[in-house]
Parts: sequence; C-alpha cells; structure tokens
Amino acid sequence: MGTDQKPRLELSGITKRFPGVLANDNVSFAVQPGAIHALLGENGAGKSTLVKMIYGIMSPDAGDIRWNGEVIRVANPKAARKLGIGMVFQHFSLFEALTVLENIALGMDAKIPARELEARIRQVMDQYGLKLDPHRTVSTLSVGERQRIEIVRALLLNPKLLIMDEPTSVLTPQEVDQLFIVLRKLAAEGCSILYISHKLHEIKALCDTATILRGGKLVDTCDPKVETSRSMAEKMIGGNLKSIEKPQGRSLGTEKFVVNRLNLPAIGHFGTALKDITFTVRAGEIFGIAGVAGNGQTALLLALSGEEPVDDAGAITLDGVPLGTLDAKRRRLEGLAAVPEERNGHAAVPDFTLWDNAVLTARDRLGLALSGFIQPRAARKYAGEVISAFSVKATGTEAVAGSLSGGNLQKYIMGREILQKPTALVVSQPTWGVDAGAAAAIHQSLVDLAGAGSSIIVISQDLDELLSLCDTLAVINGGRLSKPMRVSEADINEIGLLMGGVHGTPQETHIESGAVHAVTA
Amino acid sequence: MQLRLEKRAQPSRTMLYAAPILAVLLTMVVGAILFSVIGYDGIGAVLEIFTRPLTNPLKWQDLGVKAAPLIIIGVGLSIAYRANVWNIGAEGQYVAGALGGTAVALLTMKMQGPWILPAMILFGILAGMALAAIPAFLKTQFDVNEILTTLMLNYAVVQLLYFLLRTVWKDPMGFSFPKTPLFTASQSLPYLWPGTILHWGVPIALLVAVLAWFVMSRSVFGFQVRVVGSAPHAARYGGFSAKRAIWLVMLVSGGLAGLAGVLEAAGPFRQLVPAFPTGYGFTAIIVAFLGRLNPLGVVIAGIVLAISYVGGEVAQTTMGLPSAATGIFQGMLLFFLLAGDVLVRYRVRAVSTRASGETA
Amino acid sequence: MTIEFAIAIIFAIVLVASPILLAGLGELVVEKAGVLNLGVEGMMLIGAVTGFAVTSSFGSPWLGTLAAAMAGATASMIFGFLTLTLAANQVATGLALTIFGGGFSALAGKAFLGKTVPAFTQLFPSPLATDPIWRVVFGYSPLVYFSLAMCIGVAWFLKSTRAGLILRAVGENDLSAHSIGYSVTGVRYAAVAFGGAMAGIAGSMFSLVLTPIWAEGLTAGRGWIALALVVFAAWKPYRLLVGAYLFGAVMTLEVHAKAAGGVFSALPSELWAALPYLMTIIVLVIISLRRSGNSVAPACLGKPFLPTI
Repeated sequence: MGTDQKPRLELSGITKRFPGVLANDNVSFAVQPGAIHALLGENGAGKSTLVKMIYGIMSPDAGDIRWNGEVIRVANPKAARKLGIGMVFQHFSLFEALTVLENIALGMDAKIPARELEARIRQVMDQYGLKLDPHRTVSTLSVGERQRIEIVRALLLNPKLLIMDEPTSVLTPQEVDQLFIVLRKLAAEGCSILYISHKLHEIKALCDTATILRGGKLVDTCDPKVETSRSMAEKMIGGNLKSIEKPQGRSLGTEKFVVNRLNLPAIGHFGTALKDITFTVRAGEIFGIAGVAGNGQTALLLALSGEEPVDDAGAITLDGVPLGTLDAKRRRLEGLAAVPEERNGHAAVPDFTLWDNAVLTARDRLGLALSGFIQPRAARKYAGEVISAFSVKATGTEAVAGSLSGGNLQKYIMGREILQKPTALVVSQPTWGVDAGAAAAIHQSLVDLAGAGSSIIVISQDLDELLSLCDTLAVINGGRLSKPMRVSEADINEIGLLMGGVHGTPQETHIESGAVHAVTA
Repeated sequence: MQLRLEKRAQPSRTMLYAAPILAVLLTMVVGAILFSVIGYDGIGAVLEIFTRPLTNPLKWQDLGVKAAPLIIIGVGLSIAYRANVWNIGAEGQYVAGALGGTAVALLTMKMQGPWILPAMILFGILAGMALAAIPAFLKTQFDVNEILTTLMLNYAVVQLLYFLLRTVWKDPMGFSFPKTPLFTASQSLPYLWPGTILHWGVPIALLVAVLAWFVMSRSVFGFQVRVVGSAPHAARYGGFSAKRAIWLVMLVSGGLAGLAGVLEAAGPFRQLVPAFPTGYGFTAIIVAFLGRLNPLGVVIAGIVLAISYVGGEVAQTTMGLPSAATGIFQGMLLFFLLAGDVLVRYRVRAVSTRASGETA
Repeated sequence: MTIEFAIAIIFAIVLVASPILLAGLGELVVEKAGVLNLGVEGMMLIGAVTGFAVTSSFGSPWLGTLAAAMAGATASMIFGFLTLTLAANQVATGLALTIFGGGFSALAGKAFLGKTVPAFTQLFPSPLATDPIWRVVFGYSPLVYFSLAMCIGVAWFLKSTRAGLILRAVGENDLSAHSIGYSVTGVRYAAVAFGGAMAGIAGSMFSLVLTPIWAEGLTAGRGWIALALVVFAAWKPYRLLVGAYLFGAVMTLEVHAKAAGGVFSALPSELWAALPYLMTIIVLVIISLRRSGNSVAPACLGKPFLPTI
C-alpha cells in the first residue's frame, strides 16, 4: 500500500454526451485508497454511464481519469482490469448455460488451467466467506449466488478498486448484511470501493464518502455519516421530493378482487411455479407484493393479467365473477387491467405509434375497434387524452412508443390503463427506471384510482415504494405468497426474512428502519 | 475508422421509401460492373434487362402476366413475414395450388359450365392452404421451426408433381411425355381482351393487393398480425393469441400461393408439365421484402421483379446472357435492400476508434 | 446381399454424408456464436462452382478445395457485413445469400458445363485403398477423413479451448460478453467465416468427389438438411455426425432402392427422392417432442447485436 496521499482514482471534468442527453456534465471527484465511496443518484442521474467510463466500456467526451495520480486512458474493460479495477454489474454479466467455473474463467484475462483456477476460487471464497459450487450451471443458482460469482470473479484479480453497481437491488436484507461484511473486509485490506446506489440507508450504513449526482451533474460530495437521509435525498432528487397525498383515515370497501389457491406450473426452464397464491383486495385498497426478483413475480403478473390463464376459473374472481380461465382481452372487458414491468415489447409495442398502442389494450373497453375494424380517429383521440392527462412528453399521438423516455412511456402506459377505469389494476414495478418526478406522478395516480374505489395490486422489488404506497403487504418467495400484513404494523426484519425464504427466528439485522421512509416522508 | 450505427428516435419515413429505390439503383450499378468484369457488356446488359421491358410496348403484357403470380404470392408472404412467420414454402404451395386445380380439371374433362373454373380455383386455394397447414400445425403444436418445414415441403411437393405426371395424370395421347392433357375452354382462365395474353389473373392480383392492404392497415386481424410479429409478449398482453396468428397467416399465405398456382396452371400453362415450378415462390420472397411487407408496395415490387424476368429473357436472346443472371440480380437486390433497411432505423456514423477517447 | 454390395452401400453412405457433416459443423459453430446463417445452400453452391472451376483450370483438386473454402468464406462475409455490422435481419439475409449463390454459381458454372476434373489421389497406399473389403476404411476421398477430423476438432474446440468457451459465451449472452470485454462482433465474424469456409468445402465435395461434373443447383437442398441436422444434433458435434450418417443412409437408399429389390423397388422413385426432406420434417418433430419446452439452442441465436452503449 502506498504511503503517498494520491487518490486511488480521480475524475476531473468528465463529460459524456449521448444523442439528446448530456449523461455526465463536468463531473469531478476522488476516491481514496481503502475508502468505501458512494456514488448516489436516482435512476438516470448518470451513475452507470460514469462507471462504464471508468471501467472502459465507454470513453468520455472530455475530462481526465487519474489512477494513483497518473492520467490514464481506459481503452476497454481488459485495460481496466489490468490496472486493478474490478466491477460487479447491476445486471449480472453471466452466462446462464455455462458453469460457475466457466463464467469466472471468461472474466479472467490470463489463461489459467481449470484446476488451478478452481483452487484459487476456493481460496478466495474461504478468505471472504463466500459459498459457491464451481461446477453448478448458473441457471440453477439464486440471485444472491449469482452476485457472488461476480464478486469472486472480480476479487480473483486482486483489485485496487472495486465498482459495485446497485449491488443490493436484488438481495434480501440478510444477504445485504453479508455483502457489507465482505466489502468492509476488502476496504480494510486497502481496496477502494465505488458503491453505486440510490438507497440512502445503505450508504449511511456502509460508506465513508458520498458523491451525489443529479441529471448528470455533480451536486455534492459529502460524509454520509454526518448527513441525514433526508438531506441526502433532497440533494439527490432536488426539488422533486414530493410526498404522496393519501387521503387520511379513508376506509376500505368490500372485498373486490379475490385470488384463491392460484396455481401455475413453471413457464420454461428458468420460470418459477406459483403455489396456492391466496389474497383478497378490497375496494380502494392498495395491496403490495414484495419479494426478491425471480421468486414468481413474473408468473404472478402473467397469471393475473390473463396472459397465462389457469384451469381453475374460480382461482381469480372480480366482484364475484370468475376470471381464471379467461384471456387478457376478456379479463379487461370484465374490468381487470394489468401493467407488466417490461415496458418495451410487453406493455407497449416499441415500433408502434402511441395511438396504435392505445388500440392494443383499450380497443374493446373504449370502442377503439368496432366489428373487426380499427377506429383511428377514436384511438388518436384517446391517446391524446392520455398524453395530456398524464403530462406525457411526446411529439404527439403519431410518435412511436420506443422513442419515448422510460418515464414518459411508463406514464403513458399507466394512463392508458387508468383512464379505462379498471375495477382492479395489477401493476409490476410501476416506477422501475423512472425519474422521481414521473414516479411521484405514477404513485399519485395509483392512489387516486384507489380513491375512486378500484382495487390495486402493486408487485415491486422496491420495499421503500411498497411501504409508502400500500395499505397491505405480502411477500412472495419461491412462488408462494406470505400472509398479508398491514403496512402500518409491518416489521421490516420480518419482511426481510420472508423475502429470503426464512421462516425461523429472526437474526440480527442492521437495517436502519428510520431511513426506509425518508424519501417519501 | 469504424462504422457505428446510431438508433434514430423515430424510424425515418424518407428512408423507408428511399431504401428500395436505392437498392434497385445499386443493383443496376453493381450488376453492370459485375457483368463487365466477367466479360459481357455490363451497361448494355443492365439497360437491356431493366429498361427494355418498359420501353417496348410489346413486353408490357408479359410484365403483367409475370407480375400477377409474384404479386399474389408476395402479398401472402408479406402478411406472414409481418407476423414473423417465415413461410419460405410458397414455391411448394404454389405447385400444390396447381395440383389442386388440375385434379378438378382432370375430373371435369368431359363436362362444361361456368362453375368448373371457380371450382378449380377454390380447390387450388384449398390445396395451398392444406400444404401450409402442415408447418402451421407443427409450429403451433410442437414448436417446430417453420423455415425448415416449409422449405422441405417444397422439394416433396415437386416430387409429388413428377410422380403424378409420370403415372396417373399422364396424358395418354401425350406421346409418353410426362404431362397432363390440355385444359378445356371451361377450365381455362379467359383473356382480358382477345388477341392479348393478359388474363384475369392480372386484375385478380391487383384486387388481392388492395384487399390485403385494407385488411392489414385497418382491421383488428391486421393489427393482430403486426403486433404478433413486432412484439409477441405485447400481443399476448393485448389478448392476441400467437398460435391463432400463425395459423391465420400460414393459411392466408399458403392459400394465396395456391391461388397463384392454379391461375398460372389455368392461365398461361393450360396444363401441368414438369417445368411448371419456375421459382415464383422464391422470387416472391424478394417481392415481399422489396414491397416493404406492404401489400401496395408488393404491387410495385412485383412489377420490378417482373421487369427483371422479362428483361432477363430479352437479354438472353439479344446478348446471350445466361438465364442465371436474373438470380444474381435478385440476390443482389435483396442484399442491397436489407443493407438499406438499416438506414430506416439507424444513422450510420463513421467514427475513428482512436480519437474518441483522447483528451487534451 | 453380398459383402461387396454391403460395402458399396456403406461407401455410398459415407460419401453422401460427409458434405452434410462438413456444412453442418460449420453452421454449428456459427450458431454456437449466436448467428443463424440460412445461406448454407448458397455458400455450398458458390464453393462447388469455385472448387470445380479452379480444379478444372489448374488440375489440382487440393487447390480447388482451398479455393472453395475461400469462396465460401468470402460469400459468408457478405452475410456477415449485413447482419453483424449493419444488423440486418439474419433470416432474410441468409435467404438472399442462398438466392444469390444459386444465381452466381449457375452463371459462373456456364463455362464449365460438360468439363471434367481430375480426382483426388488416394490418401492411403493403393493395396489398402483399393482392396475390395478394406476400401471401406481406407478408400475414401481425403475430404471424408477431413470431415471426421473436423468433427473431432470442432468438438474439442468448443469443449476444451478458451476460444471455444468465448465463442459459446458470445452465443449465450452477447451483452455480458461485450461488457466483460470480448468483441462479440469479432467473434461472430470469425465464426461466420469458418461456417462459410466449411460450406464451401462441402460444396466442392459435390462437384469434385460425389459427381465430378458441374451441374446447376447440384447441391439439391442438402445445405438445408445440414441446417436441420444442427437442430437435430442439439448443437453437439458428435450427434451431428450420427445425424449426417443417418441421412446419408436414407439418401443412399434412393439410389440403391432398385437394386435392393423387394419392397424397395416397388415404391415410386419420387418417394425415395422426397424421403430425405420428409424425414427431416419428421426428425424435427421428434426432437421438439423430446425437448418439450426447455430449448438447448444458444440463447442469442438469430438476435442482432449492436454495441451502441
């Protein structure tokens, strides 16, 4: 370890422009040796772009990157690794059909015989308490195990700087704790860690320094131990911090949407089967379904939307009408609408115009198609209404869906469903990858729809979102749904354990529950 | 230096229409160079192939007769390809259509009446559909790739044609040549005007294209086909069944290829011979793409490809250019079209790989 | 059935199967890299005519085969440029390559109609290669042994080498391979070129070994059968070998049906001619029945990749 005070990594004036966006605007900060440095910002703030430049996936349009004081040009990830920069991606760069060992070998630049590599992997795993079977095929591993592969792969190169891109977005609170232990140990050994997140409580718990980005610009570099979650959130979100207006003391109506012993076999090789899903949503209630990705959320949405009808008609009822065997079109006619998490290609056709996309789900309920023929005038009118009611930024109804930004497309999709006045609405990840302004608008529209007496089901991996939005909450794990609990009485530790599939005695966790409501308080 | 593609926010409408024109022009230029290189008069050959059929009024009828089957098959394929269903078995379905119509014709040799020709056409369409139903069934039931099944059936149907012509359908008065008897007047497609070779298949082709355009752009069926092809998950989310769409587009494209086959058999051929399969089913693939998978575009594309056929024949007689030249032109046309297609969705930027990372 | 007849049949099967095996191995590697090149038939025809032309002009079948490989690889680069650099639709581009290959080979072959070419010299010394019994092991064209060596080589490459691992990774998850730092497009170009070269050699086997004359469209759809066999083989080289020989057997039946007598000669010859194609369909159905749901195809097969971000 060097005794000189040169920062491990120093960025000065980094700028990166994409067609139409300035992703990074003159960003400068430094990461010290052995520091855990947070890069904080909401989705779209430019964090990922910035680290991609550090890791050599992209190159900056302007600005300098200094490594131990020297200006460098990182031509590609290989060059980055050679310098001692490791990266764990948010969306894992793993190969499903290959084994753990093969995956790690692919991440190594030097050619190492399989046996020697395996020995080194075992050594790293022992050293940091990471458990993995090198000969398992990745497709059979859990999300947490997959992340471990990435970490092991990065650690094998003895990195001097480890970049972690949103590492906890798919982990249970308990897995998060284990990860933090590994990261603290690494930092103690002198490895710098650049930790990207938008979760304030994590950053307060883990990091020494935090650099906050907003809209591509650096807002502040501060000490998260000194700052409050509220102050950091304000820096991160700017003037957009807006709380959800929930009418106080509203009473929930009668039981409306009832799911009773819903079963669905696994779809495809990597799918999760649904087992005896049971819950009831009353009129005006917002029902949240929490869980770590890959525990049956996708299947649940498909089963509820009608994209995967089930054999038992009575498994899903809306106002007493059995819907289980109906397809998506017929369920919509009965008043059940759904919005899947994937916008492009699932909730909307990216190559189609916005009015064509209105026809996709509103053609029967709103008469946008009559006796087998599309009514372009009516469809354009409805698309226009959605655009203005939800302040969607688009060139007009003729714009193709794929040309909209994520937030605007999501607002359009939500608007398209909500303005059809569904009796029940199922949404998955309603604010995934959406900027704070749009997220607040979407949350408000869901609250308003519930206020009008509809039943709403929100499936989300973002626990903060669910806790602030929902009246009731249940956790999905391995295709089974936990008992619903009232959000006002929910215990964060218990939710965490349910997410991890643990039903025994709660063990110690270090979640600062106070921070959970910070953003929306 | 490296070529980089930048996605356009909105597909370029200009490029959508410009790409096929560019493709045709590039094909002519490169074709001229290619033929000069191998020792022909390249420019002369290209002019002969692409302009002679247009400047010589005698060839206009030929164009119509050649374009009709290409348009009818191309329209069907354009619908199937919109749904991302890769029916490349139109050649077989076209032959099947002819077989279906001829079966009726051989049974009605001694009969007369205005119902015979419609019956032949009906059976031709049904035969084309029946052949297309096999890959549709295999794809929807067993998830068998339709590219391979439709293609394999082409070879099988041609063998069936040979078998029938060699055995049960052979004309006893045909001097042991493998061919059917000539169709009777009630079995033949009438000419539009006496003294021309333009038959009723030409207006039928135009009618098919206009109808298909209307259905594809305005009906929920057309919408379904487009959604299934563009975003299958969104289709299911919108309540459309992909299986239903596969069945429908296979039957429509098979039926139209069958229609083209029976019209060709009852029109220009008036009998079945081993040389009946002339590759219209394959050329129609190019027609469908060149027409931007739009039925009205297919009409124009059908005429362009018909020009290359007729012009190819002209060049064969006047310049001794081999008939295979047409295949080269068609392949190149499709290459250039596909390359040009990129410009619809992307901007091509030349970037220097070195410079982008350099800073002062 | 005499032993000579049996040996003749085995001999024929091996000869017919080898080009399919070669073309199939090439396509297998291409598909493992995540690219679907439907232009195998076209590349085979281009290889066939080039191999024949060069052999006929220079008198060396070895030179001809080499030229065929280069011609196939060159043709595949047209496909590569369109689909890999310009991200054009792979299905349509493959079809275009097949149409182009048909036209090109017919035109280029015009001058060579009716010409003959010298045969390959035997690889093994004459008592072994010409022995009525032992020729079943030693008497084949060198390209037959080449196809078997390539089968072993491709299997070893994919399973045991680092380059093979990278190739599989690129076909499995192009985005990840890109983010780790591998050149997805580069790997795919290499795979496509290899596939083209193999198809070219397969084509030259038709015009130099199977029927040493040039005829338009002499590959008769065998390129498509090779494509189907890759699916049949579940992207495994040794299963491809089995598949190719199985099809070789069916195709040989067509030729020897009459001689075999009995039921074989009673069936119409057209049925025998159609049988390989019909069998391909049946085989495809059988595999998809067995596979039922979880596909073993490379995950990125046929999907365009553009490293824009």
